[in-house]
Amino acid sequence: MNFTMLPHDCVSTILSFTSPLDACGLSPVSTSFQSAADSDDVWERFLPSDYRDIVSRLVTPLKFSSKKDLYFLLCNLILIDGGNKSFTLEKLSGKKSYMLSARELSIKWSNEPMYWIWESVPDSRFSEVAVLRTGWRLEIHGRIETRMLSPNTSYGAYLIVKISENAHGLDSIPSEISVKVGNNVVSSNTTYLRCPKDDKKKRQMQSLFYANRTQMLRSRLVNNGEDTRVLPSEREDGWMEIELGEFFINGGDDANEEVEMSLMEVKGYQLKGGLIIQGIEVRPKH
Amino acid sequence: MSSSLEKNMLILRSSDGEEFIVPEVVAVMSKAIKNMVEDECASNTIPVPNVDANILAMVIEFCKKHDESEAEAASDLKTFDSEFVNRGQEALYDLITAANFRDVKELLDALCQNVAEMIKGKSVHHIRIQFLGYQLFEILTSNFIWNIWCDRDFD
Repeated sequence: MNFTMLPHDCVSTILSFTSPLDACGLSPVSTSFQSAADSDDVWERFLPSDYRDIVSRLVTPLKFSSKKDLYFLLCNLILIDGGNKSFTLEKLSGKKSYMLSARELSIKWSNEPMYWIWESVPDSRFSEVAVLRTGWRLEIHGRIETRMLSPNTSYGAYLIVKISENAHGLDSIPSEISVKVGNNVVSSNTTYLRCPKDDKKKRQMQSLFYANRTQMLRSRLVNNGEDTRVLPSEREDGWMEIELGEFFINGGDDANEEVEMSLMEVKGYQLKGGLIIQGIEVRPKH
Repeated sequence: MSSSLEKNMLILRSSDGEEFIVPEVVAVMSKAIKNMVEDECASNTIPVPNVDANILAMVIEFCKKHDESEAEAASDLKTFDSEFVNRGQEALYDLITAANFRDVKELLDALCQNVAEMIKGKSVHHIRIQFLGYQLFEILTSNFIWNIWCDRDFD
């Protein structure tokens, strides 16, 4: 089959069924491929269907001359909705990810300066982060609508945190994490906000004074707090992330539902502090 | 012949003169034919230039199946489509041009998707040899600037 003889529209249609990587990589095949691989028809297919809406919510407007240009601009991290959310496209697949800033989350008592303060830190993508000064209950919820996310995609939700030097009370008992889509709980688990230190002395002290209490508290948690396979992991940007759970976005015209991602530590009653929250990231899971 | 033709039937004549009697609902899946019928500039016999009998028969088969199976499960139709488009390069090329020229969107999409699957993840050299009949010499002398250009965005 001689592609060079195919009408331009057909080559565009063929390329629009491939991927952004293929379209760029194959453009040198022939002049017809090259012009199709740059065409707005093809890149319109690779852009998310609601890209016009996203572009209209940008904090700093983007200048672009073609849909292809726009695609690669959206692959960089950009701030939307008054700087309270960040958006990015995955370069290879064109799938969407978001990060909700701490300001977009509902954090209990976060407007009480006795418990939480808002600070700006240099390595956060948002202007403010929430810092837990002290408090005995942690209730953090983030919400996102399913229609904002790419269809037929498995997503993970990650709480992006840092632990300050004077942190305390964060590793006594595990926190409960869950993801709800609509009214269905699609995943629930427990996690430690920081990996418990392997400090022999501290453990001995704890088992001496608090063994019963810890045991009793654990028994109130999901899975008795035993299944704490979720541990914070280091990110490239210097922050830590805790996977709150995963969920799947169906394709088609399914009804729009709300995804609620939560982390709760309300059963320990010990004072805790030193947790810094940047936000919750929702990104495709591979 | 047209006098004995049932109502709502059309005759399509291929480029090599063969005639096919087709229900109108099937024929109008081609937007080009639909426009002709709506503008009433078509007699009962519609010439389909550039498309030979062999290809026209395939296009009609595809349209008939899609017309009949509107109520059928979508997965059945998908299986039919994937079997239908599983053809050699020559036939694919002819079908794509016919579907494009006659504006049969469903067929064009199914065919283009099939070709897309064939070229996904392949290298430029592979496509040139497999589809364009390039020889090794041409590939060796191919413009390396393109390669630099196409690497640019995916570094």
